[in-house]
Amino acid sequence: MNIALIKTPAEEAFGISLPHRRMEEWRWTDLRARIDRPYPAHQNTVVAKIDVDRLIASSPFAKIKTHRIVFVNGSWDQAHSNFTGLTFEMGVPTSSAIDDPLIHLNGAIEPAGLTLRFESNMDVLVEIMHITTKGAARSMALRNCIEVADGASATIIETYLGEGDYVLSSVMEFEIGLGARLDRVKVEHESASATHLSHVVTSLAKDAKLNEFTLTSGGALNRQNGTYTFVGENADAKIAGAYLLNNKQHADTRLVVDHAVPHCTSRETFKCVMDDHARGIFQGKVIVRKHAQKTDGKQSSHALLLSEFAEFDAKPELEIYADDVVCGHGATAGDINLDHLFYLRSRGIPEAEAKSLLIAAFVGEAFDNVVHDGLRDALVNYAANWLQVRKNV
Amino acid sequence: MLEIQNLHVKLEDEPREILKGLSLTVKPGEVHAIMGPNGSGKSTLSYVLSGRAGYEVTDGSVSFKGENLLEMDPNMRAAKGVFLAFQYPIEIPGVATMQFLKVALNAQRKARGEKELSIPDFMRFVKERAAKLNISQEMLKRPVNVGFSGGEKKRAEILQMAVLEPSLCILDETDSGLDIDALKVVADGVNALRSPDRAMIVITHYQRLLDYIVPDFVHVLSAGKIVKSGGKELAHELEANGYAEFVEKVA
Ligand SMILES: Nc1ncnc2c1ncn2[C@@H]1O[C@H](COP(=O)(O)OP(=O)(O)OP(=O)(O)O)[C@@H](O)[C@H]1O
Ligand SMILES: [Mg+2]
Repeated sequence: MNIALIKTPAEEAFGISLPHRRMEEWRWTDLRARIDRPYPAHQNTVVAKIDVDRLIASSPFAKIKTHRIVFVNGSWDQAHSNFTGLTFEMGVPTSSAIDDPLIHLNGAIEPAGLTLRFESNMDVLVEIMHITTKGAARSMALRNCIEVADGASATIIETYLGEGDYVLSSVMEFEIGLGARLDRVKVEHESASATHLSHVVTSLAKDAKLNEFTLTSGGALNRQNGTYTFVGENADAKIAGAYLLNNKQHADTRLVVDHAVPHCTSRETFKCVMDDHARGIFQGKVIVRKHAQKTDGKQSSHALLLSEFAEFDAKPELEIYADDVVCGHGATAGDINLDHLFYLRSRGIPEAEAKSLLIAAFVGEAFDNVVHDGLRDALVNYAANWLQVRKNV
Repeated sequence: MLEIQNLHVKLEDEPREILKGLSLTVKPGEVHAIMGPNGSGKSTLSYVLSGRAGYEVTDGSVSFKGENLLEMDPNMRAAKGVFLAFQYPIEIPGVATMQFLKVALNAQRKARGEKELSIPDFMRFVKERAAKLNISQEMLKRPVNVGFSGGEKKRAEILQMAVLEPSLCILDETDSGLDIDALKVVADGVNALRSPDRAMIVITHYQRLLDYIVPDFVHVLSAGKIVKSGGKELAHELEANGYAEFVEKVA
C-alpha cells in the first residue's frame, strides 16, 4: 500500500513525512494527524534564568544530588551543567542507522547532544535534563549516547520538563558492555500541551544488566519507542514503566525486545493509570531468534482505568523461532477492585483515601524496578502528589 | 448498642431475599454467638452491618449507639466503632500491613476528632499487640494478607481489631481454618478485648470456639431469621443434634 499523501503543514516544515494510523505500529497514534500545525525548529527563544531555575526546581528529583547535564530549548546549557569527573564529548553522536520515523524526525530537527562514557563504577547519579521554556510553538531535539564500558556501572536519569506548546524529540542510545550494568530512570513531565517523542536504542553485551524505569505523566501526546537487543549471552533486561495520565493525555509505548542470542532474560512490567479521557497504549514485541535457546522473556501490562471514558489498548506480540524458551505475556485492564476498596473502607479509611492507596499500590509495583532508594522515594512522592491533585478535583 | 429490628435484605440485582425479618439486640459488654447452617445469611448480616455494597435493605432498621447505621458509609461505621473480622480476609497487594494499620487508625482518629498517633507511639502500640498474637515483624512488612496462610489471615484480622479497638466486634468464622494452638491465641486476643463497653457478635459453626470465648447468648440463624435464642448451653445442644430441627421448621 503506497499512497502518496499530500504533505501536511507540519511535514512541510520538518521536510519529512510523519507516521500515520495506516502504519500498523502507529494505528493508535496518528502522528501525522495529531501534529496539526508546523512546529519550526531552532526558534530563538529568549531564556530567563529564573524560568530555567524554576523548571529545574520542579523536577521530582530536584532534592537529589545528581550531576546534571542540562539542555534548554534544544541547546546545551553550560551554566546549569556539572560534568565533574565525567568522560564526555559534546556533539551529536553518529547514530546507528535505524530506519525509524522518530529517528528521521529527530534528524530533521537537528538535535543537540553528547556522548557520555562510563569507564568504571561511578558512584554518581547523572541526570540528563531537557527544559522547555515558554515561547512560540516550536520543535526541539536531543540525541545522546551513553556507553557503559565493560565491567562498569552507571545510573542515568532523564528528566523532561517544560511549559508551553512544543514538540520535543529525544533519541537515546545505550550501549551496555560486558558484565556492565545500567540503571535508567526517565521521567516525562512535559507541559500539558506538549508532544513528547522518544526513541531509545539499547544493546546489551554478555552478562550485562539493565534496570529501566520510565514514568510517563506529562505532555498531551507521548510516544516512546524502545528497542533492546541482546548481543551477548546471559544478559538481563528489566524494563518497567508507569503511566499516570488524566484529562485527554495520550501515551503510546512500543517496545521491541530482540533476543538475538541464547540465555538472556527480559522482563517488561508496565502499570498504567488512566483517569478522565486519557488513553494509554502498550505495544510490546518480543523476538526470539532461531539460535536464542533458553531465552526467558516475560511481558506484562496492566491498566487501571479510573473513569469510564479512559481507555487502554495492549498489543503483545511474540515472534519465537527457537524451541527451548520460556516466554509469556499478560495484559489486563480494569477499574479499582471493589472488594479491596470495601475492605479498606471497613477499616475506617475514607473512600478517596482508600482509592489513592490502591492506585499508589498499583503503580508502586513498577517503581520497585528503581534500584536507588532516593529516586524510588521521589517517584513515590510524585505519584502521591499526582493522587493528591486528583483528589482535590 | 446495636438494635436490629425486622431486617429484610435482598441482593441488589436479584429478587431473592436473604435476611427475612431478623431482629437482634446487643448491649454493651455482651457477647452474642450466631450459629446456623451454611447459606442461612450469617455473612450477609455481617456485611450489611459493615456497609458492603450489593445488598438492599427492603424493610426494618438497624440502630447503633442510637444512630441509623444503615445511612452511614462503611468508613463512618468503622470510625463509630463497627469492626468486621472477615470470613475471607481480602488480600491487598502493594499495601504494607503496617502502613495499612497506620492509615486506618489515623483515619478513624481523625473522623472522631482525635489526634493522630506519633510514628514511634504507633509502632510500639502495634508491635505489642502483634507479639501477643504471634505475628512477626516480617509479616507486618508484607502487603495486607498477601501470601498469608489461612490461619495467619485470621490472626491478622484480630490484630487489626486489637489496634483499632472497635466497640462492636463482628467475628465471622474467625475460628475456621485455625489449628488448636492458633485457636487459643485468637481466643485470647479476643478475650483481651472483652470489656463492659464493648460488644461482640461471634459467628461460628463450632461449639469449641465458644469454650474459649464464652458467649452470653447463642442464636440460631436459619433461612434469614433468628429461630432460636438461648444461653451458652444452646451451642452444646446444636453440637449434639445439628440444625435439622430448625431447617425443617422453615421448610
Ligand atoms: N453477593 C452474592 N451473590 C449471590 N448470592 C449471594 C451473595 N451474597 C450472599 N448470597 C447468598 O445468600 C445466601 C446467604 O449467604 P451467606 O454468605 O450470608 O451465608 P452464611 O450463613 O454466611 O453461610 P456459611 O456458613 O457457608 O458461611 C447464600 O445462599 C448465598 O449464596
Ligand atoms: Mg458465612
